[in-house]
Parts: sequence; structure tokens; C-alpha cells
Amino acid sequence: MDKRTRQDSFDKEYTDSLNKLYRENSGLAGFKWFLDAAHRWAYRPVEHDVVILGAAVPEELVIASGAEPHWFIGGSLGSTEWSDELVPRDTDPVSRSILGYINRPGIDCSDAMFIIPLTNDSMRKIAYILKSEGRKIFTVDIPPDRSDKHAVKKYAKQMEQMCAAISAHTGSAVTRRSAAAAMKLVSGARAALCRFLEVSRGRTDIITDSARAFVQNSYYMTASVGEWTHRLEELSNEVEYYALRTKNKERRRPGVMLAGSPVLFPNYKIPFLIRDAGLAVYDTADYITLRSMVIYNSETLHGSRSRLIESIASQWCRYDASSSYVKNDVMYEYISYIIQRGNTEGVVFHVLKGQIEYDFELERIEAMLSERGIPVFRLETDYQYQDVEQLRIRMEAFSEMLVQNRIRKVKRAS
Amino acid sequence: MMTKRTETLKQRQDKRFINKETQTAAKYLRRVKELSGAPDGMEPFYNTLERIYVDMDYADSGTYSHTVGTYCVMTPPELIYAAGAMPVKLCSGNYTAFSVGDDIAPRDACPLVKAVAGFKQTGLMPVYEDCSLMVVPITCDCKKKIAGMLSDKCDLMTLHVPASRNDEDIEEFTAQLYDLIERLENATGNAITYESLSDAFRTVGYAQYELSEFIRLKKQMPYLIRGSHSMAILNAASYMTAADWGKALHRVNGSLKKRIAEKKTVTSKKLPRILLTGSPIVFPNVKIPLLIEETGGIVAGDETCMGERGMWDPAVITDNSFDGMMNALANRALRPCPCPTFADNSQRIYRIKQLIKENQIQGVIYHVLRGCLVYDFEYKRIEDELGKLGIPVIRLESDYNEEDIEQLRIRIEAFIELIKLKQEPEKITAARRSF
Repeated sequence: MDKRTRQDSFDKEYTDSLNKLYRENSGLAGFKWFLDAAHRWAYRPVEHDVVILGAAVPEELVIASGAEPHWFIGGSLGSTEWSDELVPRDTDPVSRSILGYINRPGIDCSDAMFIIPLTNDSMRKIAYILKSEGRKIFTVDIPPDRSDKHAVKKYAKQMEQMCAAISAHTGSAVTRRSAAAAMKLVSGARAALCRFLEVSRGRTDIITDSARAFVQNSYYMTASVGEWTHRLEELSNEVEYYALRTKNKERRRPGVMLAGSPVLFPNYKIPFLIRDAGLAVYDTADYITLRSMVIYNSETLHGSRSRLIESIASQWCRYDASSSYVKNDVMYEYISYIIQRGNTEGVVFHVLKGQIEYDFELERIEAMLSERGIPVFRLETDYQYQDVEQLRIRMEAFSEMLVQNRIRKVKRAS
Repeated sequence: MMTKRTETLKQRQDKRFINKETQTAAKYLRRVKELSGAPDGMEPFYNTLERIYVDMDYADSGTYSHTVGTYCVMTPPELIYAAGAMPVKLCSGNYTAFSVGDDIAPRDACPLVKAVAGFKQTGLMPVYEDCSLMVVPITCDCKKKIAGMLSDKCDLMTLHVPASRNDEDIEEFTAQLYDLIERLENATGNAITYESLSDAFRTVGYAQYELSEFIRLKKQMPYLIRGSHSMAILNAASYMTAADWGKALHRVNGSLKKRIAEKKTVTSKKLPRILLTGSPIVFPNVKIPLLIEETGGIVAGDETCMGERGMWDPAVITDNSFDGMMNALANRALRPCPCPTFADNSQRIYRIKQLIKENQIQGVIYHVLRGCLVYDFEYKRIEDELGKLGIPVIRLESDYNEEDIEQLRIRIEAFIELIKLKQEPEKITAARRSF
């Protein structure tokens, strides 16, 4: 595939997803800003930025170091084509897409600094590829076992080193004040996201599931966290306004939980399919969603610079639900909590090809859900669109099963 | 509660498992034994592999009261010996256990991890069941997740292997080794003292000395021993005490020295000399070295973690204190290790180049177990580097089954033919003395 065709396929996927989201949610005035932000991000120059690969690093420390983080979290089939020759066949699409974004023609990342959390094998080897290319990198080695008594200390030490490396890049040191301000800023953004997810929960008649997921993803495409928070508050108000005044027309849709590998923009075939199959995503259980729950209270915002960094490290180590741990108890407990809360009639467990960590975690989750009588649908896919029709058939069958379950329950109750 | 019917079903399944497992292991052991040119003194190694895989017996721990299961090369055996236990390496190459593990572990997990999961699931392999503790260094995603699964079934400790190897990483790893001491003491009931650790260094050091002698002899004269025999020796190290293994290797070294003096080689022909690198070759999955040697090549070098890499580097003590010894163990576990778990693994390329030079290698076979992504990632760079040296490389992807054997045979045969074409034609002179 030549350069032009690759660029075209990237642009097409990106704009198609944006257009579809817009078409489905054109009634929401506040939503358009997020679409525009994502569009701007796709063509935004990287230059001297601090680039975070994936979402497993506390951005508050990057902000405190005087940088606006530029995330590459993957999600694009188009971008994987720029990394196809650099990685083995079985590499997961997220890592491929991240590496593709870095190698995208026309986007010069040569002066950027890359923060690479070593969450899996692919990221570890991507770090090696980037280092061999002479790029400026900093790796964050996540301690894999939470029961290791040195885990928090190790992580905090790395955060200190990361701050020093970013400060050397930006020329701005992390101070107690800058750290506290950044913690406050991201806490505000996360609180706004939690509120948005709550007010829009189950209201697919006002905002679609894919749009909810997109708003969540758009955090990683924003140039200003402050503005994003403000716009999100406005959007939440708008959704709340409509929710109070309109009756939920789509409440008949069976409610499912979307768990496993995070669904990342622009590859939204899964949420689009879920909607097409007549289901509604009530909750999402992935590490990105759980990250939005790391909110610092006023007590944590006091203390010395190193104490603030320690409290960030401790919160991240405790609540990180990424699959980079030997045992992902945080995710297990969160799913268990959501199920207890009710409304979940089934679970769609999304596994991206090559992300076997999620598959390993599924066994335990499946056992817990089966005890509670919740059916699980394991959906394995990659970023290609060829399997859409196959997935559609399976998703429709799952939806049909959930409807039948409902009918059975009603019959049993009567 | 098990009903009588399910109990009988379970018994039948177990019986089938044992039959299949022992048959496969016996078959591969027989094929290794049948290869010509084995040096004298191979029996202890064959007997060990037979005891573990064919007789399905416990590892002979001798005077050690416990066994501790280990994975990868980062767990220092010295600490385990110092705690009065014997280390047993549990990385598995078993096809039957793999097929059981296939139903437990995810489809794309590597076969080695599936085989481990399979053995643990059946509970039929004594070496797995006998462990007082398992130590799992987290070297890849599969090991990370299998550690989580195994921790539900046995006492287990993970070791965080850092992605880099600077002084701070070594210090942190040393701290983990101190934690390991605590766990070992709890598991065995024996305290690790300065004396016991020093003794353990001597025990392991003796085995390492014999191994270095073995490697030196192998390098000295081409075709002195076949790679498959060498791999059987190195695989048996997983289930023998260092002292017994060292003693047995000493006899083999003696036999090799005799061969050098008598100018005897395993073959009179000039066979293509192959370096085997990549994912580990674990008994009984020795189909690749066997295929190489059955199709007219010879495995002259081995850069895998179940091979020479596993025990090659001795710990260097620069400070005689207890802390000094612990530091030496941490340094030995990380610094010289060319495992692809490290983000920057340039030293693996130097190591491969060194092996090529020392063993007069003519071609490299890069073995990738299906799902072993870390090795796959490094292939491209190694291929480029070896291309500059004019050394041909092929990537062989395989799984723990016998279905791909004929396909592999064709590829290996073609590769060996290619090397032979490049080789200068053999001069027919006076008859050489060979086996």
C-alpha cells in the first residue's frame, strides 16, 4: 500500500466514525465540540510535546512538569498500516496502532519525548524500537504484583524519575504547587467524567453508547484538560436537562456491560454493533473507565512535593485496573460491584486479538458471573472491519437470548 | 462431591493422560539415544529424563528435604540450595500437558505456559505436586498471568524482573531476593546463613565450572558432540541436583577430552553447523534439534534459556559479606542475561555474534513458539544484523504438537541444502576416524 492510500484509509476511518457519531447525536449541541476536538487532534503537530503511549501513566505529573500531554492510545486501523513492517504478525492492534501514529508521515515526532508504561510485552519491545531509532524515551516499569511490599515505593520512585526527565525536556520543574494544581485539574476532569457517565447511563435515546465512549476517549485527544472539563460539564447539564424532561423511549433494550479491552476511537465497530443489535451499554468495565475514578480529595492535595508524588503513586497502584498485574483484583471487584448494583443483564467481554492478558482474566470473571446467572459473550476481534457481519450475527443472537431471559423472568414472577 | 461415574471417568482420563505423556517422552528420548556419536557418560542424564517424564517419578533430591519449583533463569538456585531445598525447573515442553492446558489457558497463550497449566490442572506430575514453593520471575505476559492462576493452587512468589539493568534495578532486585529468602525459610523451615549460602555458591559453582569446561571443549573441535545430546544434558539439569549434574558432566567432559586426543568426531562429513536461538527447547519438545540433526545438519551452538544460557554465567562475588553475595546473585541474574524481557536487549545480538564466531556457525535457526511475542519482536533486528555478516537465518514457528513436523522437516532440509550449496565441496582425502 502506498503512502497516499494509507493516509486515505486513515482519514476515511477517522472521518467516517466522526460523521456517524455526529449523525446519531446531532440533537446534542454540546457534543459537537468533542467531535471538533478529536478532528483537530488527528492533524495536530507533535513537535516538542511529551507523548504518552497508552493511558497507564498519571498525566497529572506530566501536567505538573509544565507539559500538555499528547496521548497515543491506539484505536485506529488506518494507523496500524504504518507499523505493519515493524512488528510481528501477532502483535495486538493497540500497540500496532500506537506505533503507527508515531510513524505517521507528516507528523514529526523526532523532538518529542515518549513516556512508555511497560504494561505488556509489546510496549516493552516498542520502547526498544523507539530507543534504537534514537528517540527520547522514558519507560515506566509497572510492578506486576500488588502484594509485593515494595510495589508502591518502586512506582513512586519511577514517578520521581519521570518528573525529572520531563522537567529536563520542558525546562520546568515540578513543585509542590504545580503538582497540587495538576492533581486538582485532573480530579476535576475525572469527576466531570464520572458525572457525565452517571447522567447519561441508560439514556441511549439522548446520547448513544458510542458517543458516551467517544466523550470518554476524547479526554486523550484534548489540548486543554481545563477546557475539556468545562465542555463536559455543559454536555452533562444538557443531557440531564433532556433526561428530566423526556421519557426514556429505549428502556426496553437489554442492558449489558462492556468489559475487557477498552474500545478506542475511531474503531467503534463494537459499540455500533451493540446498538444495532438492540442492546444498551449501561456500564463499561475497562481500565480507562476505572482510571476516571481516581479522584484526589482535599486532604491528599496537602503536603510536600514528594508526599504528593507518593500519594499519586499509591492511588495509581491501588486502583489501576489494567491487565498488567498478576491478578487484576480491582477489575474483578469492580465488575462484581456493577453486577450487584443491578441492571446488567449480560456482559460483552471484548478481547482484541493478541491481548491475551484479558483472556486470562476472563476465566475468573466468567466463573463469578455464572454464579450470578449473568451470561457472558466473549467477543474476539481486531481492528479489521471484515468480521463485522459475523460479529453482528453473534451479537444479535446474544441480544435475542437476553430478551428471552427477560421474558422468562417475567413469566416466572407472574 | 464426585459420583462413582465421574470418578471412573476421571480415572480413565488420568490413565489416558499418563499413557500419552509417557509414550511421547519415551519416543523422543529413544530418538535422542538413537542418534549416533553420543559420548560416554550420558546415562545419568537419560535416566533423569526417563525418571521424570517416562516413569513420572519425583526428582531425586538426595539430601535436600524440599523441592522448589522455578521458571526462567532469573531465580538464583544458590538461595534455594542454601535453604536446604533443591530447585526444579518447571518450564515444560510436554505435548500431552499442552493439550490439557489448551482448554484452560487462552488460545493464543504460548505452549510452554499451556503445558505448565496442563500439568498443574491434572495434578499428575510429581515434580509439580512436590514443590514446597514456586518462584515465578515475571518475564512475559504469559508468565505474569500464569503466576496468577497458579497462585490459587500452590504457594507461589513472583519476582519482578525489571525492564532495564542499571544499578538501581539491581538494588531493587536484590531487595526482592531478600524477600525470597524469607519465603524460602518459611517454606523449608531452614534458615539461610552465611555458611549455607557460601556452600550453595560452591555447589552451583562446581556445576558451572563443569559446564564452562563442556562449552570450551565443544568450541575447540567441530563435531565433537551432537547438539541433541548436548540439549539432553542441559535439560536434565532441571531435575538433578547441581552436585550430581556436575559430577555426571565431569564424566562426559572426560570422554570429550579423550575424543579430542584421539581426533574422533561424531561424523566424518562436513555437516552444516547450525546455531539454534529463540524460544526455549524443553524436553520432550526436542523435535527441532532432532530434525536438524536427522536431516544432515549439526546443532553446534545453542542460545536458548534451557540451554547453555541457563547456567553459563557464574556469580562474581566482589565483596565477601552476605550482602555482597546477594548482590552477586542479583547481578548474575540480570546483567549478562540476553532474555528478550529486557526493553533494550542489544547484548543478545553480541552474544549471537560471539557464538557464531566461536562455533564456526554457518546458519541460524530462529525458533519461535507460537504466541511467544517477545522473541518474535527481536527476530527482525537479528535477521538484519546477521544479514550483514552473510549468515543465513530462518524463522521456524512451531507449537507443542507433532502435526507440523513434516512441514518443519521440509524447511529445515531446504535450509541445510542452502548452506551446503554455499559450502566448498569436501575434499576426499584419507579416511577420517569417526563413529
